[in-house]
Amino acid sequence: MQRLLQVCVRVLLGVACLVGFCRAQDFQVPAAVSAGDEADISTAGSGKATFHLIGPGVSRKSELNLGESIHLQAQDTRTAGDYLAIVCSSTCRSGGFYVSAAKPATLTFLVHPSRVPVAQSDAVSGVALPFDQFHNLVLRPLTVNFQLTAGNVSLSSRPVLTQNGAAWFRALSGKSAGLLQVTAAVDDLSARRAVQQVASDPCNLRITGQRTKVGITVQTEPVRDCAGNPVPDGTIVTFTATSTNGKSSVDAPIKRGIAQAQMLASGATSISAASGVVMGNEVRVGAQQ
Amino acid sequence: MHMFNHLARFRSSCSVAAFALCLGVSLNLHAADSAVQVQLNFKKASPRGVEELTERAILRDYRFAWTSIAQALEFNTLDPLEGPFAGDAKRWLKQSVLSQQQAGLNQKYVDQTHYVEAVFYAPEGDVMELHDTAEYQLQVSDGGKVIHDDHAVVHYVVLMTPAADRWVIRLLQAVPQF
Repeated sequence: MQRLLQVCVRVLLGVACLVGFCRAQDFQVPAAVSAGDEADISTAGSGKATFHLIGPGVSRKSELNLGESIHLQAQDTRTAGDYLAIVCSSTCRSGGFYVSAAKPATLTFLVHPSRVPVAQSDAVSGVALPFDQFHNLVLRPLTVNFQLTAGNVSLSSRPVLTQNGAAWFRALSGKSAGLLQVTAAVDDLSARRAVQQVASDPCNLRITGQRTKVGITVQTEPVRDCAGNPVPDGTIVTFTATSTNGKSSVDAPIKRGIAQAQMLASGATSISAASGVVMGNEVRVGAQQ
Repeated sequence: MHMFNHLARFRSSCSVAAFALCLGVSLNLHAADSAVQVQLNFKKASPRGVEELTERAILRDYRFAWTSIAQALEFNTLDPLEGPFAGDAKRWLKQSVLSQQQAGLNQKYVDQTHYVEAVFYAPEGDVMELHDTAEYQLQVSDGGKVIHDDHAVVHYVVLMTPAADRWVIRLLQAVPQF
């Protein structure tokens, strides 16, 4: 019987709390806040209470008089995310609200690679992520304009809508060696990156050879890729000499567009050249007189 | 001689205490880690498909990151934030811990379950975006007294990037819905 009474008292207290005491510390959190905006949390009732704010990067506690509103400073709401407001007097009550990113202020722009051979499909790619001034990711859809420019010539331009805060592109590299400017722009914001376009693999490798007193001198014609760009100096060309005495090879780097080598062979010799996967022509040099 | 016996006994007690402390800490870490459940789905990741090794690394590192958040915010310590976070996520988590220390508050994340979906994986594999629907019991204490205890379902947008030996969280931003 005594136990039943205790339970009844507890239930009554609980109901009283819901109806009366808890109302004394009702409060209302803002419906939506943009990062860096000031906001107010209104409270109802009377008496002293403690206010707690817990959110990303912020945990603060202050005393308040119920019935007054709590002012959230701009610095309290700089980081987007979920915030929890707790008001405690005789009991504690809580309410949550979200802070969303403000308008875009910076663009993070990742472009790959930093050096690319010309005329390669899907060779250049980039990702743009818009952030607000407090470094929160802007998740509402925005149009990012990606533009690829070589010299003063626009190679491609395309608008891409961000999805979940990210926009990306893939593109063919240009036809000429040199600097490729890649730009991402959202309204008046832009970020620019540079990609160095270099010649692709050699194309039509042609060699000439002539006998000298000490052997055979072989050299290539100026080595270019299929788009006519000079292949970078340092690219290796392998010369192979085949004669009745056997086979020998020499690796020579391209210098000023041409690779050159001196080979020792006294009899009739045929010489070929290769660079990467490209084979050149074959020349025959007669025996030493 | 008597003094040497005391010293030996003291040393032995210290060793036992240190061992117990180490065991306690390791058990605690294990317990905290096993309390974080992560289910990952990589089917929607694009434009790049996620390699199997990367999937495993993300699962391991994301789970560890949440274990670290729970430890940092429960015990108000910065150490757990050193490895798994970088950039702005690390900055605001550190701020949270420091401001909790000042206010005498702490947060406890209990029974965490994360349903995570990879929604974006950059063409060159240098950034991945995850959507995490996290469920946990969130307890907030003020000076040891629980002032909030509620089951929370929170949606997080996460950006992870590869670092030297792991994937790190660069952005952890809660949103009302995806």
